Amino acid sequence: MSIGNPFMWLTQALQSANIVSNIEALIVYAIFIAVLISVFDYLFGWVERKMIAKAHLRHGPTYVGKYGILQNLADFIKLLSKENIIPRNADRLLFMTMLPLLLAFSVFLIFLVPLSPTLQATNLGLGLLIIFVTLSFVPSIVFLGGVATGNKFADISAQRSVIMLVSYELPVILVLVAVSTLANGFNLGSIVAAQSPYWFIILMPLGFVIFFIGMLAELERPPFDIREADSELIAGWFTDYSSPYYMLGLFLDYTRMLLGSLLIAIIFLGGWLGPSFLPPMFWLLAKAVIISLAIVFIRVATVRMRINSLLRFGWIYLLPLSIINLIVTFIIFVK
Amino acid sequence: MITRINVGPIHPGTHGVLRLLVDVDGDTIKRVETHIGFLHRGVEKLVETRMYMQSPPYMEKLDYIAPLAFDELLVAAIEGALGVEVKERAQYIRVIQLELQRIASHLLWLGTLANDVGQLATVFMWAFSDRDKVMRLLEESSGTRMFYVNQRIGGLIRDQPPDFKEHALPLLDYLEKRIPEFEATLEKNPIFTQRMKGIGVLGKEDAINFGVTGPVLRGSGINYDTRSNQDYYVYKKLNFAPQIQYRGDSYSRYKVRMLELRESIKVVRNALNKMPEGDALGLPVRLINPAVKNRIVRVSRETPRGEGMMYMVADPQRPYRLSIRSPSFVNLSVLDHISREHRFADLFAILASLDPVMADVDR
Repeated sequence: MSIGNPFMWLTQALQSANIVSNIEALIVYAIFIAVLISVFDYLFGWVERKMIAKAHLRHGPTYVGKYGILQNLADFIKLLSKENIIPRNADRLLFMTMLPLLLAFSVFLIFLVPLSPTLQATNLGLGLLIIFVTLSFVPSIVFLGGVATGNKFADISAQRSVIMLVSYELPVILVLVAVSTLANGFNLGSIVAAQSPYWFIILMPLGFVIFFIGMLAELERPPFDIREADSELIAGWFTDYSSPYYMLGLFLDYTRMLLGSLLIAIIFLGGWLGPSFLPPMFWLLAKAVIISLAIVFIRVATVRMRINSLLRFGWIYLLPLSIINLIVTFIIFVK
Repeated sequence: MITRINVGPIHPGTHGVLRLLVDVDGDTIKRVETHIGFLHRGVEKLVETRMYMQSPPYMEKLDYIAPLAFDELLVAAIEGALGVEVKERAQYIRVIQLELQRIASHLLWLGTLANDVGQLATVFMWAFSDRDKVMRLLEESSGTRMFYVNQRIGGLIRDQPPDFKEHALPLLDYLEKRIPEFEATLEKNPIFTQRMKGIGVLGKEDAINFGVTGPVLRGSGINYDTRSNQDYYVYKKLNFAPQIQYRGDSYSRYKVRMLELRESIKVVRNALNKMPEGDALGLPVRLINPAVKNRIVRVSRETPRGEGMMYMVADPQRPYRLSIRSPSFVNLSVLDHISREHRFADLFAILASLDPVMADVDR
């Protein structure tokens, strides 16, 4: 197994990207993805509320619909019907575009993720790389979105978002290098195919831990919800976004959680591999849901990290560990 | 570049109407200016316009987390002025109620602290449900759930119900099992210890010079607890020992309160077992022209937040002057001193470890 001439490899990868030519199929697939995301956001929003309520010894939503399943719909209608307030000293254009842009990014990336060997929009040779390059734009959009509101809490939060980027992005990329070495490329389909006897979580558990922590930070989930720390920064960069924008933000949270869980499932948990009595997409989504539940469990249990300790944690623990992971992977698997 | 941020009076981290002007350089605190007085009601003056036993309900609203502490404090001041001895059984019941009140107060503090260091309300909800159980126990003996007003001169409005002990002991056992659970949830998390240890250090000398009391003082390694130093009621007989920690940081203050929870459980249990039979009723509420024995009284008690003190100049009908020393007020004054050069996120963890109640600060 060798990487070979990097330029050869790059051109091959780009050539193998066959954008779907059938435009009708693409539209149907896009609608399917939109429905998938909406259903996941809606149902997982309810599941998370119920789970957290259980951990808190509460009941959670009970009144609207059976087991409160329509509570999110009620909240959705309420938020839509409220007045949208844009602060006087906000930059109106940035304020109105940044959240929809973030949501569009996440939806687009889920669109790029293959759901099974046959069910995918496009078979990008550099899929993994494209997804993570796009994801690393997120903190800068958050920065703009925070600064745009003209709120001082949002300002602090925007600064934190940049510090967060430099603390977790590099270890995650180094783990991805190791993954691509094992899978001989950045194609998500071939990454899953390379896991057919053993999932990558077994081949490099250390890499999985680093990647999982990195994704928690990427998704702003506790203990890394430093940007929207509610007990200190009210809601961080999100403080001045009201009604419909607030709703968009909630959608964004769950959409990104779906994206993160899908990526973890594909890269480390064997993606759609599983017993054949159920379709491959089911296995992928089931793994993604289990990862999302794990993320919620972590949210219930832990306290928030401080920004400087995250930086130290990223550079003193995650970065060296990810280098060790890379070296070990090279020594054991590359011959 | 230094930015000035206005935090509060309405902010999720300040627990009440506290306004802080924080100068930050990036994420580092350079100065904290505390603005108080949003809840000033002039309670001391109110008390001067009312007859003695009309005032305790006002006192309860001073520290609404531990209402009984200040209620009992005023009644003790009146008892001192009138020269009334408290009946022995009433002393035991008062100790039980005050310590139960301390448990309830510390449980609420624990929940808000966990919230402020960024936990998603898990310990908060657990602590609140446990606090409610303690409050139900207090309701059994006083009749109301939150503001008890059951202290009378020389005793109480009524004796404890006969089955109080049977209800209290299982709850104490339950709480004793619960406290390690809280500690495990927080202390086994390295992020929590990282956010508490070495943060907001208040040195021994500073603690004395600022005049802080209660868990904040004992967290700085000074053995001063009004319960043992001033020796009131029957604490000596109940095997009470003050809890001290030596580092002076947020973690020490946290630890002192957690140890105090255990100590209070022990004291209540001892008091329940050693309580003598007899009469616990106090004098009736309507005292027309009571005979004032001591015109000037100073009484101090260990409230859950520190040493509460009342200085009263007594007239026959009503107090001529009442001055209240609020523990929260003094404890809050160290905030600027101990939070400089820390991160903005630490400000709220430090504030929570000081545990001020704004109604008490503003009086």
